[in-house]
Amino acid sequence: MINAVRNIVLSVLNKNNYGYISPADFNLYAANAQMEIYEDYFNKYNSVINNENLRRSGTDYANILKPIAEVLELFANVERTLTQVAVDTNRYYLPSLSTTGNESFMISNIYCFHPTTNVRLGEAEKVSVGKINLLLNSPLTTPNVSYPSYTLSQGIVTVYPSTINGVNSIKATYFSYPKTPKWTFTTLTNGEPVFNQSQPDYQDFELPLEDEYKLAMKILQYCGISIREQQVVQYAMIQEQNQQLTGSQQQ
Amino acid sequence: MAYISQYQYYENGGVVPEDKNWGSYQYVSLADIVTNFLLMYSGNHSLVNNEERYKVLFHAKRAVQELNYDAFKEIKMLQLEVSHNLIFILPSDYVNWVRISLYKDGWLRPLSENIQTLSSKAYLQDNMGRILFDQNGNALSPEYSGIDYDRLTMHKKSIYLNQGNQYNGQLGWNYDGMWYFDYNIGTAYGLNTETANFNPTFNVDRKSGVINFDSSMVGESCILEYVSDGMEGGDDTLITVNKLFEDYIYAAIEYNILSSKLGVQEYVVNRSRKKRRALYNNAKIRISNIHPGRLLMNMRGMDKQIK
Repeated sequence: MINAVRNIVLSVLNKNNYGYISPADFNLYAANAQMEIYEDYFNKYNSVINNENLRRSGTDYANILKPIAEVLELFANVERTLTQVAVDTNRYYLPSLSTTGNESFMISNIYCFHPTTNVRLGEAEKVSVGKINLLLNSPLTTPNVSYPSYTLSQGIVTVYPSTINGVNSIKATYFSYPKTPKWTFTTLTNGEPVFNQSQPDYQDFELPLEDEYKLAMKILQYCGISIREQQVVQYAMIQEQNQQLTGSQQQ
Repeated sequence: MAYISQYQYYENGGVVPEDKNWGSYQYVSLADIVTNFLLMYSGNHSLVNNEERYKVLFHAKRAVQELNYDAFKEIKMLQLEVSHNLIFILPSDYVNWVRISLYKDGWLRPLSENIQTLSSKAYLQDNMGRILFDQNGNALSPEYSGIDYDRLTMHKKSIYLNQGNQYNGQLGWNYDGMWYFDYNIGTAYGLNTETANFNPTFNVDRKSGVINFDSSMVGESCILEYVSDGMEGGDDTLITVNKLFEDYIYAAIEYNILSSKLGVQEYVVNRSRKKRRALYNNAKIRISNIHPGRLLMNMRGMDKQIK
């Protein structure tokens, strides 16, 4: 999809000889555009839920929530084991490139397992660092193996009770960041780089195909600012607004 | 999770204790209650939304506690011997007593709560009546107060018609097969039925965590019937609720969350309050086990002639 998006962008830019965008710039803008759209999915999800609660949403083919959820679930990582900070501690690193292979955008669930038997215990609930002491001092709700809790600070997940401290005791289900897209090339033909997706650092967009148009418009906005061409920015923004309007009418 | 097999139920799969699952089908666990509530009564399209699980857990446990106090008919019992110190230490899960009995000669004799005090704290005093203090400024106390000492040494008199009564052991006259005593109890003012009990008496000292008995209870066996709060010593995995109260618990959690949440319309709170109340009443009627067979047994005595 990344090559198609780039072709759209170049086509719009070159149409009126507005300018040219280098592969390096394109890759930068592509990453930002993808991230913007990805974050927007969460907002859309929330807004559709609110509409549903106001009885402004239908079912079957009118079910707007389902495709949004499906896109988000593309980024869901289910029950990945977290790496312990040190042996016999209840502290674990958040998912990252060096531990789970990808960065965590949002933790959805933390599951606890017995340190020695690996029997599944309760699901840990997130508690703010300002509230954990109150919870620990509350006899009725103090975290235990049936109802564990965790706090999150400085990239470390701390699980309570502290007896949950095995190497494989904590598994997380989380939404990862989309991988950074990279349009790669090898040769120059007539001064133009030629797309080559067999490069080891090649990375396509992770968003679904339906977002191709949105990605192109987002990147065009960045390009317009970059080449100081207001008309490009305005064109891309109008196109994006039209797209959003259509979307909100659907919702 | 599937229901357990008959073998699991009757013999716990051959694992000790084999009686672990007996009667378990009557109950639903706290874990199930919390999970079911979070699944069915909270979420994006429910009245309860964006609430932490620990709040649900808290309200679930509070509801279980309240039910244990006065709705469940689950009385716990503990039998202990009362030694020379005349106290019965309250059980670790004690909340309130239902009945205290003396078990003697195969008979269970319900005891009366003494309307007078049986125990007291005391401070040491000098001959001017001033309280004595230690170097830290704390008042010095004797090992026993006067009333406690008398009670332990069997010198404390009782207004009850038992061994501690002031007239017990007094001389009297037997005339023509009848006993006559030189005091006016039961003569001039009639018998005080409240204290006309031969059995030992007790006081519950809640703060000290003991039941104090009068001296006639020394060496006797006592059975305490009491209610707990159902928290099973803090082990959440053991907390259960009778299935007849399952819907009530959900309603109670929902009501308690909604009633303390900002911006919830009053009619919504009221609706949940009424729902909770109705389910509570229904469950209490159900657990009372009123059925024709029982009523019939009671009604059979209706025409009995009272002589």
